[in-house]
Amino acid sequence: MNGQLAAAMAAEVAAIYAYGIVGVHLGNAAQVAEARAAETAHRGRRDYLLGKLEQPAADPAGYDLPFPVTDPASALRLAVHVEDGVAQAWRPVLGVTQGPDREAALAALTDAAVRASRWRRIARVSPATMAYPGMAS
Amino acid sequence: MVLTGRVGTSVGQTRRQLLGAGLAATTLAGCGAFDDKPAPVATPDPLQPLLDEALALAAGYDRVVVARPALSARLAPLAADHRTHAADLAKLIGASASASAAPADARVESAAADPIAALRAAELAAQKTAVAACLAAPVDRAGLVGSIAACRATHAEALR
Repeated sequence: MNGQLAAAMAAEVAAIYAYGIVGVHLGNAAQVAEARAAETAHRGRRDYLLGKLEQPAADPAGYDLPFPVTDPASALRLAVHVEDGVAQAWRPVLGVTQGPDREAALAALTDAAVRASRWRRIARVSPATMAYPGMAS
Repeated sequence: MVLTGRVGTSVGQTRRQLLGAGLAATTLAGCGAFDDKPAPVATPDPLQPLLDEALALAAGYDRVVVARPALSARLAPLAADHRTHAADLAKLIGASASASAAPADARVESAAADPIAALRAAELAAQKTAVAACLAAPVDRAGLVGSIAACRATHAEALR
């Protein structure tokens, strides 16, 4: 279970980092507020995982972004990318947990999938949904 | 069922009465084997309701699109997600994915004044079913069912 939780932790920490960059480049105040709320949610999940992991890894100093973020369009793309990645990291946790732990993992997967769809909708990416959130395509 | 339900609710029963009722229920149930009625169907897979719901949701989208073709581009991908779920669930549990036994309450959306809101409510209700199914699922099914639950939540988001 620790391996899956550690992967979820890595995705959450990467999301927190990414939203710092996303927020700087977004086009309007409503989107910036959305990004801030998302970052807060990811911090909550990181704190949850800190309590679950026996040996949390130290935060790495920085991350390589998958592509340069220079404008609102690329910022939205990064937000989608990050939420898809968080959903993919939480899905394997479902199979190694039971009860409240699985419930927490499913909530994390679902929240990330919903935010990914919201960002796609904002970016006018269609379709905004996929059949199996959390499953790498 | 009725027998045990009625007896079970009474606190002052003696052990003998309870045992007797249990025996009676067992005997009644046992009679079925000698009836002319068809043999009782095997217990359905716990994921059968999820499969039925996926088909009912897909059919609900279809009805709205028939009534309002302008919504097709927006709704067709959501219906397709449900059909994918139905096909994969059917494969997993060895059932048919073509059953058209959509429950009557799934038919309200096309008549509703705001079909999008009705579809959204149906997605949120279906998400709850899938969450419960995921929490009850064995480890090898938890991921699939969890993704279906998450997908239904994203549909509700897409319908906002």
